[in-house]
Amino acid sequence: MADLSYKSLLETNNYLRQLSDTTYWLCITRTVQESKLFPMNPYMLLSYLNTFYRLPTQLREIDAATPAEELGDRAREVSLKVDTVNAAWGMPAFYLIGREMLMNWGLLGPADAVEDVVDVLDFSRRFNLAYHRNDGHMTNKEFGDRSQFLPERTLQVFESDLHGVVPGDRLHTAATKLVAQLSQYAFLAHCECRIGLHNSGPYNFGDNRQLIVRDFFELTEGDYPWLDGIATQLPFGNLTIPIVFKDTNFNLMDDWASFEAEPSYDASNIAAVGMYTSDALTDGYQPVGMENAEKLAETMESYREILNAATADLWKRIAGWSREQMIDAGALVYSSVAKDFAHLAGTYRQDDWFQLDDRVQRFKPLMNDEYGRDDLGEMVGLLGFPHQKTSEYTMARYSGLNQNMLTGVPYSVLTDDDFAPTAGSSLSGSSSLDPKTGLWTTSAGRLELDEYNRRARGFTPSAQAPEFRYLDEEWVKRHYTSDRANALYELAQRDSRTLQGKGAGLLRADLQGNG
Amino acid sequence: MSDPAPEAALTPPKWGTKEMLPLPGRYNSAVRELAAQRFAATGVAWKDVVFDRQYDLFSLADAQAVEQEALDSGYRFDFSATVSLESEPEKYKRPEKVASAFADGAVTDGRRQVGVGDNVIRKTASVTGPVALISKIEQVMGFLADGVPDGTIAVIDDSGGTLTAPIIEGFAGVICLGGSVRSHLGILAREYDVPTLMNCTIDTLVDGDVVEIEVTAAPPAADAYETGNTGHARIWKIEG
Repeated sequence: MADLSYKSLLETNNYLRQLSDTTYWLCITRTVQESKLFPMNPYMLLSYLNTFYRLPTQLREIDAATPAEELGDRAREVSLKVDTVNAAWGMPAFYLIGREMLMNWGLLGPADAVEDVVDVLDFSRRFNLAYHRNDGHMTNKEFGDRSQFLPERTLQVFESDLHGVVPGDRLHTAATKLVAQLSQYAFLAHCECRIGLHNSGPYNFGDNRQLIVRDFFELTEGDYPWLDGIATQLPFGNLTIPIVFKDTNFNLMDDWASFEAEPSYDASNIAAVGMYTSDALTDGYQPVGMENAEKLAETMESYREILNAATADLWKRIAGWSREQMIDAGALVYSSVAKDFAHLAGTYRQDDWFQLDDRVQRFKPLMNDEYGRDDLGEMVGLLGFPHQKTSEYTMARYSGLNQNMLTGVPYSVLTDDDFAPTAGSSLSGSSSLDPKTGLWTTSAGRLELDEYNRRARGFTPSAQAPEFRYLDEEWVKRHYTSDRANALYELAQRDSRTLQGKGAGLLRADLQGNG
Repeated sequence: MSDPAPEAALTPPKWGTKEMLPLPGRYNSAVRELAAQRFAATGVAWKDVVFDRQYDLFSLADAQAVEQEALDSGYRFDFSATVSLESEPEKYKRPEKVASAFADGAVTDGRRQVGVGDNVIRKTASVTGPVALISKIEQVMGFLADGVPDGTIAVIDDSGGTLTAPIIEGFAGVICLGGSVRSHLGILAREYDVPTLMNCTIDTLVDGDVVEIEVTAAPPAADAYETGNTGHARIWKIEG
């Protein structure tokens, strides 16, 4: 499938270099992450290798069913796990970091797997361009560490429907406690990594207020086998909590969905909150408990209770795992960051995403805690792998040194021929974890996988229908009085408590909400 | 068309140096040397080996041999997760009692300064309470069963959020010996509004020591970890 041309390689290397610089910056602004519970660094290294061997094959099937740019359109309208940290950054970065490991071991040359590299980055670029269509950037870093992918029609519904709060009232307390519980649970369910959390924004809400959108994914039975039987009273797998802050400027929202604010995050500055769910089967954001402030507080309190119990249940389950089970679970959490593309496309198979490939299993004996920690540190912090050095005259963007985290594809592949173009499409592997036996939690209820895939294949959100798909805000700017624009806006307003049927002509002054 | 020179995958890079850290240097060199020898023994083109005969280049048994060679030389690994030490004790260094990392100060007003750290959430008053040093699953199990005693200030050397996941909300304060205010534990402390100092350097503390943590201090500036301008919140031990 790969187009091996000078143009495609130029584009590939351009994107690869941007990822290299951005990922280095993201890494050096953190310390090495370790956990007393999970052998994190060993599992991270294995996950990168698993991504290298499996992702090209996985993405080719997905892309054939639903092109990457269409998946970007889907992800842009709602909060799905194929988001900034999972899909926009993690998916291509993990793949390329796995490539670096193999290259450093002398098991791969820079020209090998070139077709895979081109395909993975082409998929990722098309997804990112569509996902970020509203702000026109490829990454948050390119946009000055901002993330503003939602359209006006969605933000207007948020602004109008969110419920105002003041510190100490029932909803303010319920919201802050639920967000804390969700954060805690998401770290645990994701084996200590942050990919179950997502933040985007900020969006200007006027009157010195800004909105950030906080997302929490994979909260109950779904793809992770260790969540079978956990938090099953929770009706949804994903929750989105838009939060409006007053007097707080969110000056950084990076590609790991971390935020910084001035003054720093302070729950007492929260002015309004709401709650929604979305997944591969929802037509936009679906409000959860949004009828009134009391109902929302009650819903948040009950979800918090469920998740508080689920945290203890899950912690006890995980605390009984062997080292290999912890490593397999963590590695599969990371190497499956793109799995929700398969859910959107209706091509999801459990063994594709939740087995550690045979080609990866052979490296496990190397992965003691110290090697995991130090090899990761060498690769993404010190950039100490011999092949990561470049000409002595170069000065990298953030370090000023002659080094790159990620190695480019040599253009010689266009004329030379001693390289292996692909890692192949045959997947076999295993896992030490208990197999998945539970159902999949969706907005359409708890489903068997075949039914979930069948519904996903047959579903197109209304805003992605052919008559609406290309109507962006450059078009809305001059057509907001048209029937077509009204119909587009009314799609987002269908489930709104306050804006149903109001159409496309609204400005902030017309909104009567609490947000 | 190929260059007659050795394959690009196996030629040492022109500007390269060796890994800086000992174990990656040792392991990665071993894998590279083995892969080069194995490839030379095939006698065929690189492109026909790299994936089609990848297990000939490096196998599970080869990885086991690399590890065994290190262990046979007497090398023992640092551990991070307690499960590693418990499941493979023969491979890891036993944890040593860490020497006091902070030169404690003189007693003033019944308090002795025993450490510094980075404040996560600025509060209007310092927090005082007895410390509990937490590093094992069994301890967390115990707190889960019996509850966290009121006023407990946890001393945690793990900046992750999962070891203490089910009990963090019960702490009156946290002293974390690693990480930064952006670490998982720092994020959770902020969300739960638990007074917390990260990246702490402390004198030796034992369970039950009563400490005061200066959570009135300003959190580190955005560039603090790049400039090293950290550690402004103080920790005192209440004497007597």
